[in-house]
Amino acid sequence: MTNSIGELVDADVLLITGSNTTETHPQIGRNILEAVDRGAKLLVIDPRKTDIARQADIHLALRPGTDIALINAMMRIILDEDLADDLFISMRTENFIALRDYLHRLDLDELARITEIDRATIHEAACTYARSSKSVICYCLGVTQHTCGTDNVQAVANLAMLTGNVEKKHSGVDPLRGQNNVQGACDMAALPAVLPGYQSLADLEVQKRFRDVWKHDIPTTPGKSLTEMTHSGKDGSIKAMFIMGENPALSDPHLNRVKTTLENLDFLAVSDIFLTETAQLADVVFPAASFAEKGGTITNSERRVQICRRAIPPIHNCRPDSHIIMDLGKRIGCPGMDFDSDAEIMEEISLLTPIYGGMHYDRLARNHGLQWPCLDRNHPGTEFLHKYYFARGKGRFTITRHQEPYEKTEKKYPFTLVTGRGSYHHYHTATMSRNSKRLVREYPLALLEINRADCEKLQLKDGETVELSSKRGTVRITTQITDRVKPGTVFSSFHFFEVPINELTVDAMDPKSKCPEFKVCAVQLKKVAHD
Amino acid sequence: MIDLKELILSKDNLYPLLRKLRKEARLIAPVKNEHGDTLFRPVGDRDTTDIDLENQPQESLKPFFLPQQETLAGYTINKGEYSFSPPPPALDTIFFGVRSCDLTALLYMDLIFSKPFKDATYFDRRNHSLIITLGCNQPFANCFCEATSSGPYLEYGYGLQFIDLGDRYYVSAGRGKGADLLNKWSYFFREVEEEDQNRRYQLFLEARGQFTRNIQVPHACRKLQQEPVAEAIWEKLSSRCYDCGGCAYVCPTCTCFSVDDKPQDNSSGIRVRSWDACTSSGFTRMTGGHNPVDRTRHALKRRFLHKLKHDFASHGKASCTGCGRCVDICFGGVDITTFIELFTQQEKP
Repeated sequence: MTNSIGELVDADVLLITGSNTTETHPQIGRNILEAVDRGAKLLVIDPRKTDIARQADIHLALRPGTDIALINAMMRIILDEDLADDLFISMRTENFIALRDYLHRLDLDELARITEIDRATIHEAACTYARSSKSVICYCLGVTQHTCGTDNVQAVANLAMLTGNVEKKHSGVDPLRGQNNVQGACDMAALPAVLPGYQSLADLEVQKRFRDVWKHDIPTTPGKSLTEMTHSGKDGSIKAMFIMGENPALSDPHLNRVKTTLENLDFLAVSDIFLTETAQLADVVFPAASFAEKGGTITNSERRVQICRRAIPPIHNCRPDSHIIMDLGKRIGCPGMDFDSDAEIMEEISLLTPIYGGMHYDRLARNHGLQWPCLDRNHPGTEFLHKYYFARGKGRFTITRHQEPYEKTEKKYPFTLVTGRGSYHHYHTATMSRNSKRLVREYPLALLEINRADCEKLQLKDGETVELSSKRGTVRITTQITDRVKPGTVFSSFHFFEVPINELTVDAMDPKSKCPEFKVCAVQLKKVAHD
Repeated sequence: MIDLKELILSKDNLYPLLRKLRKEARLIAPVKNEHGDTLFRPVGDRDTTDIDLENQPQESLKPFFLPQQETLAGYTINKGEYSFSPPPPALDTIFFGVRSCDLTALLYMDLIFSKPFKDATYFDRRNHSLIITLGCNQPFANCFCEATSSGPYLEYGYGLQFIDLGDRYYVSAGRGKGADLLNKWSYFFREVEEEDQNRRYQLFLEARGQFTRNIQVPHACRKLQQEPVAEAIWEKLSSRCYDCGGCAYVCPTCTCFSVDDKPQDNSSGIRVRSWDACTSSGFTRMTGGHNPVDRTRHALKRRFLHKLKHDFASHGKASCTGCGRCVDICFGGVDITTFIELFTQQEKP
């Protein structure tokens, strides 16, 4: 997030795109609703009528995968209505002319047709967003999990820069991070091409710094992305894997390929708190301690690093992940794997990661956490990003063009399947939440959201088991008639191992982020004959 | 023999008194922990200085009388016959620094757990407890106990009631154990003088004028007896309820629970009672899948009507005590105060 979470309350316009915020980020959803209660306008871009979309002043229910067309249309309208922030554009950005000329060549009727939203609605949303100087954009995986995910994000950034809604409080572009510490994992370089703090792997100075502290050579070429790894199949390019707290055997797209990969490894080790579908395939399983059984820090969406304290000692033989890594490191001869405490680990992070430079344990404990960049001991942390200048200098407008999703519906597969989290009560592959009896009671089985009109056409009843197939696989799932999805679109979650929805999804991915297109694939529904 | 109904305790004598009380029973008071949270916790051995009487305790007394999860009985099965063993007996406990709203809630729970039969574990704990309340001179941000007749000071129900007069407490004794306690430790106290009475009266008046929220609870209760709530209100509230159960869990008077048997081996196990919430869809869903409550429209109907309509009709008083905790916890901003505000503004149909 370029903003802090607390700033959302005082925004005048909130544009939420590809985020079912109230169910997946309830704490942030609470801030958004409070802003709405104070009179802010709420715009929601989502193919589904989610709970937050129901609260919206304008719900832009676009056809899945047409985000760029919609944002381009909004930007064109902003230009036509003379609502662009010329001063911001000239002082703080570059390449505007190219974008402007491109937008002027677009046909708004054509864009409206692509998105399946009428022009007047797009017009109203664009003007509402652009007229306020306190406009915030929050986006989530509905934007990124597409073959054009990177361009989707670029389009959103273009929109914010075009209206000058970036540099100040109550305005910005806020990706909402899906897991409690996924921001921290990215910050610590659980990414293929960077070192901690997004320092370039190719930078010789940076390389030297890490070599000096770690007393060990470091790889200097980028590694592979997650989907590249789990989809490498039988090609033998990956011989062994160590998977921690991740369940690709249920969460990654086109699951049959993932299984082929994992089963053809020479060696698989998994560290997790429960015996997940992935762990069941492992040669060695490390029972890891849960969040309550270990200390450490967690970095949230607003870049705030907070100490998480141990509440109970580890049960049985569970151990914190850091201890598992240190012991493994020692045995393979890696120097420096002898940290006595979480504070000592944090000291090394501060030493090697400029944006975490001042995040020492005692300060984190005193300050209810700190937001990066926090460069040294005296640095107060950073409430919102890009004040005075962007990280790269000037913000660069990049033209983004609409592209159709990888897989189109066809006669045999006439429905578009969108996947995501299905409920407030379950989290991702439900490794944890399905161990809670009460949460299971509240949301006991996988459901396929389907519009009543489609059900009537196929003569399906609510709660009926159907066969859902794509070109890649078939699952059996229970229908839920709802107006959350439009006719022609169905939705389901990836929470339930009995209904591994990712056997159906495509593994086509964004060429830059390597994020797979979980949000669109073509499927068919078939009645199941009663035995 | 002095009159033990009302006495004055100098603040200098508070900790010496508490130290004595701790020898007689487990002493539980609001304690500020190292992370800045104020919670009811046993007062430790080292000293009593970490008792926090400035902030509202985050939880009410409910967890001490109806724990989030409690073992009701152990069971063994022998040839298909169940035999039960009772849970461990309750400890003698003195609660200090309890706010008026939370004691009022406890009096309501006494009613709930006494009919149609007396709940054994609840009353075991209750009978082993003595409650010392602290009247509120300064209501907290979301409080509205004045509107629910459950504060800021109380007239009955307490073992002892403390009112902070600045450098001293005005202590009133309720029936039974409270008076015994004053009698036993009388040397810490002095008699009430007219000035103390005037000061107490003055503070009471001032406290009543300091509520920041004007929530029309009695008006809402009476109006509910006369006219139905517009469907639009229920739908608006339901559209923002995410079924987290937070309101019911922090509520000092929400007493819904579920009972489960947890087998430990083939022939024995424990019977466990745990909190539940009428706002949960699983609370009303039938085995066959039908749910008589349509969550998209009526998620909160049962909860609000129970507190404000049905309890008012049967006991003459709402079972909301105005503690304000649900206001803080609700993700959707659809707590009971939102309902009352919407409903009291509703035009006659």
